[in-house]
Amino acid sequence: MIKPFIVALGLGTVAFAGPVQADTILPEYEAQARAADPSFSGFSAERGQAFYLKDHATGKAETPSCTTCHMGNPTQAGRTRAGKTIAPMALSQTPDRFQDVKKVEKWFRRNCKSVLGRECSPQEKGDFITFMKTQ
Amino acid sequence: MRPLQQSEQSVTSVLIWDLPLRLFHWAMVLVVCVAAVTGYLFEDWWLDVHVWAGYALTALLLFRLIWGFVGSYYSRFNSFPLSIGGVRTHLFDLLRGRSDPKEGHTPVGAWMIVLLLTTLIGLVVSGFVVWGGQENNGPLASVISYGVGKGVEDVHEIFANILMGLIGVHLAGVLVETVIFKHDLIRAMLTGEKQVVPSGKSTAGLKHSVIGIVLFTVIAFGLTYWINSASRANEVAALDQIYKQACGECHMAYHPSLRTQSAWDQLMQGLEDHYGEDASLSDEVAQTVRTYLKDNNALNFDTEAAHKIGRINTPSLRITDTRFWQKKHDDFKDADFRHPAVGSKINCIACHKDAETGRFDDASIKLPKGIKYD
Ligand code: HEC
Ligand code: HEC
Ligand code: HEC
Repeated sequence: MIKPFIVALGLGTVAFAGPVQADTILPEYEAQARAADPSFSGFSAERGQAFYLKDHATGKAETPSCTTCHMGNPTQAGRTRAGKTIAPMALSQTPDRFQDVKKVEKWFRRNCKSVLGRECSPQEKGDFITFMKTQ
Repeated sequence: MRPLQQSEQSVTSVLIWDLPLRLFHWAMVLVVCVAAVTGYLFEDWWLDVHVWAGYALTALLLFRLIWGFVGSYYSRFNSFPLSIGGVRTHLFDLLRGRSDPKEGHTPVGAWMIVLLLTTLIGLVVSGFVVWGGQENNGPLASVISYGVGKGVEDVHEIFANILMGLIGVHLAGVLVETVIFKHDLIRAMLTGEKQVVPSGKSTAGLKHSVIGIVLFTVIAFGLTYWINSASRANEVAALDQIYKQACGECHMAYHPSLRTQSAWDQLMQGLEDHYGEDASLSDEVAQTVRTYLKDNNALNFDTEAAHKIGRINTPSLRITDTRFWQKKHDDFKDADFRHPAVGSKINCIACHKDAETGRFDDASIKLPKGIKYD
């Protein structure tokens, strides 16, 4: 009788712990940002939003902006150039975003190179995730 | 005209065609119509209906061949009046405007049935070969190569055209007999009865109805079992999970049979500038993917897509730049590919439900609502 209850409780805790995990990746970027710039004073959702919406156009011609594939409103599902749906970037919509460091790093590397023509700085990455957490 | 009073008096209704034979005949009419309409008139993606008609036809033919030995008297092949002399007399009679009512088949009618059955056997056998070879489908898929299947397609069409011709002659014959000579053959094929002087030869009866239906049921089950068990051996292996992860994030993961090894190698070397995007992978994953693509490149597959698309190199490395691809999709407008359910022409799986298997069966094409293809 008690077993299923414990299991349910356990699952509930895991599910609850899910979104919070996005926090483990931010301290890492924060440390990197501080190392790069000692005057760094924390991530900003506003800067993240501006970065996200900006028409950078310094990368590949096909992908001028993050919103080429992700939506201007990040709670909406995006779409790759090949027509595949991308789950919303907003954490409220896709709670398992920004958990797997390898995955996050892979996509920052690719998408930043495509859009900006360079790697993103730790501050840009942190701002971006901070912005998505508010969405 | 002729002094027939004596026998005319004893003309009665005799059961000539046993029930299983009549059911066979009308089932055949239906199934051949379906097969002909889907084969001649419809788009390729009605192929599964066509093939189902072919399977039904196979069961019916097997039944008829056995029934030719164990059916009632007039269903048996040894009752067929096939002698050349008989045919000659019959033809001369017809030319002189005479045709006596016959209990069973007329000589010309009997030959017609032999020709129809032979053609149908050729049609069904060649159909299995094309289905197995060219479409890599059905029970013969693992035995027949693509090339053989492709070659036999012409043979299948020739048989189909011969069949259409024979059916035309058959119908004309029935029309002549019915309208000119007033022998109601169609009614006879419905009720099984003819108005004749009984010769005592016909053995049709309830016993045959029962045996016939049991026999057909056994054949239908046996055939279904064979088709299912033989077809299963022929599934294309599922995509490697690591590959599917690595190359299926921005577009569907293409089946490795769609490019040659050299094309895959080139593509893997240029992932940092992959059609206007950075698609780079970690070295470890890249190595796994490279090996998988090499081991499963187009030369290792015998499907139509592997032959017509996979083995053809294009400077852009694109699947969609092969001539075969362009020819098959040239009726689409750009707007069709921008349809919300498609998004891009490289989203094969939006229209080809089996795209991940590399098969691209005609029968698996399902266009999203709103896209017209003609
Ligand atoms: C060419 C299309 C495209 C563009 C442009 C693009 N992205 Fe992405 N992004 C994707 C795809 C596809 C994924 C993976 C989809 C998924 O995980 O559901 C992804 C995933 C990500 C992830 C990983 C999310 C996670 O779940 O961990 C991050 C972070 C990200 N993108 C950031 C960016 C940023 C920042 C930009 C702009 C500089 C950008 N993207 C521009 C297509 C794009
Ligand atoms: C970052 C996103 C991304 C990833 C990851 C990716 N691709 Fe692509 N791929 C694209 C885009 C964008 C196109 C071109 C789309 C267009 O022009 O419509 C493309 C096109 C292709 C084409 C040509 C399609 C055609 O037109 O025939 C092939 C083949 C291909 N990719 C293979 C791969 C393989 C193999 C991998 C894994 C190693 C891979 N892709 C990973 C984005 C990606
Ligand atoms: C918008 C829908 C659509 C998309 C997207 C699409 N196809 Fe097709 N494809 C079709 C249709 C419809 C046909 C049938 C054409 C015909 O029979 O004349 C076809 C035919 C084919 C055939 C020939 C099948 C046969 O047996 O005749 C192949 C192979 C094929 N497509 C491969 C692809 C590949 C590979 C892609 C992705 C790179 C793709 N298709 C994308 C609709 C589509």
